[in-house]
Amino acid sequence: MARFSRVHLGRDRRRTLYALIAAILLFVVGEFVHPGFAGLDSVEAILTIASFVGLVAAGQTFVVLIGGIDLSVPWVLNGAAILLVILSLGEDGRALYALLLTLGMGAGIGLLNGVGVAFLEVPAVVITLAMNGIMEGLTLGLSGGLTCAACASYAPPVVQRAVHEPIFGVPAELFLWLAVIVIVSFVLGRTRFGRHTYAIGNNARASYLAGVGVRFTTVLLYALSGLFSALAGILLVGFGGQASLGMGTPYLFQSIAAVVIGGVYILGGRGSYLGAAAGAASLTALVSVLLAMNMPDYGRSIIYGVVILVLLLLYGREEGEG
Amino acid sequence: MTESEATAGGGSPPAVAAVKLAKSFGGVRALNGASFAAAPGEVHALVGENGAGKSTLIKILGGRLRPDAGSMRLKGEAVELHGPGEAHRRGAWTVFQELTLLPWMTVAENLLLGDEPRGALGLIVRRRMSRDADAALARLGIRHIDPDALVEDIPLAARQIVEIVRVVIREPAILLLDEPTSSLGEHEVAWLFDLIRELRAQQTCIVFTSHRWNEIASIADRITIFRNGAEVGTYRAIEEREAITLMTGQRLDTLFPPVPPLAAEVPMLEAQGLAAPGISAIGFTLRRGEILGVGGLTGHGHRELFLTLFGALRAERGTILVGGEALRLRGPRDAIRAGLGIALVPEDRKTEGLLLPMTIRDNLTLAILERISRLGVIEAGAEAERTRRLADALQIKTPSLMQPAGSLSGGNQQKVLIGRWLLAESRILLLYDVTRGVDIATKHEIYELMVRLIGEGRAILFYSSDAEELAHLCHRVLVMREGRIAAELAAPNLSAEAIVAAAVRDSLAA
Repeated sequence: MARFSRVHLGRDRRRTLYALIAAILLFVVGEFVHPGFAGLDSVEAILTIASFVGLVAAGQTFVVLIGGIDLSVPWVLNGAAILLVILSLGEDGRALYALLLTLGMGAGIGLLNGVGVAFLEVPAVVITLAMNGIMEGLTLGLSGGLTCAACASYAPPVVQRAVHEPIFGVPAELFLWLAVIVIVSFVLGRTRFGRHTYAIGNNARASYLAGVGVRFTTVLLYALSGLFSALAGILLVGFGGQASLGMGTPYLFQSIAAVVIGGVYILGGRGSYLGAAAGAASLTALVSVLLAMNMPDYGRSIIYGVVILVLLLLYGREEGEG
Repeated sequence: MTESEATAGGGSPPAVAAVKLAKSFGGVRALNGASFAAAPGEVHALVGENGAGKSTLIKILGGRLRPDAGSMRLKGEAVELHGPGEAHRRGAWTVFQELTLLPWMTVAENLLLGDEPRGALGLIVRRRMSRDADAALARLGIRHIDPDALVEDIPLAARQIVEIVRVVIREPAILLLDEPTSSLGEHEVAWLFDLIRELRAQQTCIVFTSHRWNEIASIADRITIFRNGAEVGTYRAIEEREAITLMTGQRLDTLFPPVPPLAAEVPMLEAQGLAAPGISAIGFTLRRGEILGVGGLTGHGHRELFLTLFGALRAERGTILVGGEALRLRGPRDAIRAGLGIALVPEDRKTEGLLLPMTIRDNLTLAILERISRLGVIEAGAEAERTRRLADALQIKTPSLMQPAGSLSGGNQQKVLIGRWLLAESRILLLYDVTRGVDIATKHEIYELMVRLIGEGRAILFYSSDAEELAHLCHRVLVMREGRIAAELAAPNLSAEAIVAAAVRDSLAA
């Protein structure tokens, strides 16, 4: 019994460790393929790219922990990016108002997803996919396919600095991500809300019968997912300067992949954000190594898919043992 | 009057024989060395209380479940069944209690599923299908069921008949029926019994389970009584009273601690004219220091009653009062605030109580996180302190409270469930079958805990599928039938026999 328990308790942390080890190994492999790959600048650049996946994965972690999923990531992110430039017109003076409205939009869309899941009892896959379509239409329609005059605006300088400004030689974006990791881990690990999240993910019915506000918590979790998609959209505009169409598309698959690689159980109830963050880092490292090896796009896609599949198979087996 | 297996059915080899079959689900022993045999041309009844193992036995004989130990023979041949298909090839067909028809297909499609009439190119000929089905129904004397109707559109009793017809037209040598009459009316039962007599004349072996004693007495050639997963004996004729005594059994009196009498009449929980889906016109008063039992056959509204009292099912009518004040329950949360707590061990084990992969600590404090957190942050010290004290008081056996709840034994899991409500300071505990599937020693501990809890001024509403337990532990017992309280038993009329008799006799009248 004692042995069973030790294996069980250690599993989440072990997977986080796997994901971290994988990231480190990939940097080592990269260094062999392409000397300088594991240099400080290169690592910083790769981690910065990973941070955007990591931010989306934070939202995805919240909903996957209750056995849900958020497929509205691509166009909530893209919509947020475009909304930010339109509202701010690249001026710092309008930045605060633009930021608040954009984040509010993300949280609001997420809230609608949550209401659909919790109250209308629509499967998460269906409602979030539909919401993605709606957001795509709204974004394209209202921006005239990104032809509107304000669409060409740059992100306000303050947002650009929030991504690029070096602090002790490290881009501010990485400190932002670190802060998110600390806060999300604290929320999941130490608060009532976090405990309720795990409880619902393990057994929604039993949680309800213990007095947990299952619906309320579910709505909040989806709202958080929307919020993080919007945040990632904002920071991506800050990173690249301008918004573009389709910029959110890669983040759906990558955020889910990061969550799975990091050991968050896809049916809910187990896993940590630290794991998902490590998953985002190792996934981005993998992509970078493949790029360094001059692997074409289609090859990367295949390898992505295979990695996810193999991990799910491995983890699935572990569930059986546990 | 008991016969040995060798002489079953007087000479001819048994059509079906079970020898020392055993089957466990998780830690729960459903069958514990059960044996019986039935001959061709014999109608054999399996009787026993809920949980005695009858249904499990039928499922094993029909190839739906595989036994953990023991053996069986069909038509004298030792067999190991790997699925229902194999049982069918050996002539053994089962009619199940839970309906297995496909609701969105027609009666004809269901009847002929897998045996559809085929024309050229192997395609199904729809016109012939409906004709064949009609002929099959007519041959068995059924005229009121349209073969082209969708199954979901026909009444429950008609569905049960289709279920029976579907099996009978396959001409089974061994027909296994699990509670075939539970959803049938008087006319349908008469039809079924005529059919059974006809099949018996054709040397079919029929094995069935039932709770209705007059049916058993009127049709069975022999009766095997089960208790706790094993047979007590097989009888050609037996009085109902004697059968009930055998079904409920005699157990150690020391198992049950003495229950102190009520000190005063202080009502804690009252229901008045309570109605919800599955229950109606429920009225009772639970008093401080009382264990009020709820008994009766499975599926007669106990579960709905408990969920309604806890706010998990919406009451349609009636009032729930706690301490004399009417409650408005919008969900379990309201019930918990009002001092109610429910410990639920549902049919499909442990799916509504514990979060098995989470720690014991998490499970204990799930209902009181509000009280031990500040600004939404859980105070780890307070949490550890409270759970440790409770675990000591309840003697939960575990090396650490940070172990997953799933690592605990069944009895200790039950203690965690009850402990959750003690931490929540629930004064009224709704205990739903909490002793099911736990060993005798742990049962005893749970009983002692219950007595201690009422001694501390709490009140317990206690549903149990074990009539004996109710008789020994409760001040009064409400016997439920079809969602209503059919009888209230109190000393000196309170006994296991009286509870079972009230439940069975009531279902005779149905």
